[in-house]
Amino acid sequence: MPLSSLNPDQWINNYSDALYGYTLPRVNDAALAEDIVQETFLSAWKARDSFKGEASEKSWLYTICKNKIIDYYRKKAKDIIQPMAERDQTDAYFDETEHWTGKDQPGNWGIDYQQSVDKKEFYTVLDTCKKKLQQLQQAVFVMKYMEGLDSAAICKALGITASNYWVLIHRAKLQLRTCLEKNWINLK
Amino acid sequence: MMKWLMISCKKSTYLLSKKEENKLSWIEKITLGGHLAICSICRKFEQQTGFIIHHAKHVQEHTVLSVEAKEKMQSVLKD
Repeated sequence: MPLSSLNPDQWINNYSDALYGYTLPRVNDAALAEDIVQETFLSAWKARDSFKGEASEKSWLYTICKNKIIDYYRKKAKDIIQPMAERDQTDAYFDETEHWTGKDQPGNWGIDYQQSVDKKEFYTVLDTCKKKLQQLQQAVFVMKYMEGLDSAAICKALGITASNYWVLIHRAKLQLRTCLEKNWINLK
Repeated sequence: MMKWLMISCKKSTYLLSKKEENKLSWIEKITLGGHLAICSICRKFEQQTGFIIHHAKHVQEHTVLSVEAKEKMQSVLKD
């Protein structure tokens, strides 16, 4: 198979919108997403001699972009002063015996889970719900489920302990599920 | 089931994240399995969060950058 080559002249034409559309929902900030895309091209340009052609140009650029997104959260984690709270709003989903309260338990979604969804609608609600999470919860959710890192890598990047991580991801999932049920399923 | 094998819904939903990475100890596997077998609400939680996770991975907005932003990027690459 011939090795792929780079066409830096065409990068912005071919990939800038796609990389931007990928980055934006992962960092929730248009200006920041623009910066990340720009830095991606710049880093790629500087590293063009190290491109071995084993991956396609496109996936090579995505890899660089993903690293920039993770870097952003790594740096941001240092500025998050809000310590992990002892109590969380999701605690209220459970009663004193830690079983679901009737009010907050998962309801019937009435959808086929295998079926495809109206992506635009789903993404919009997911985005809104994600923004309501605490900063660290948001960071772990994006890194785990949107960037595909494992818990060990995330703990290292964010400088948190494994037990903190499991609590954060638990709370993030609880809150996101509830928010999606309220704002997506129930409004359908 | 023996009482010490019973875990709460809060604990079960917590363990589900560990399960995704195969990080459950043998005792956690047994207690979670036992809980899910009798708790349809937690099974629903697993299914619904699985659905969210599956779709979150592919989130891509169909949006375009402004011409100015692209020109700026182009100029940076030229330097």
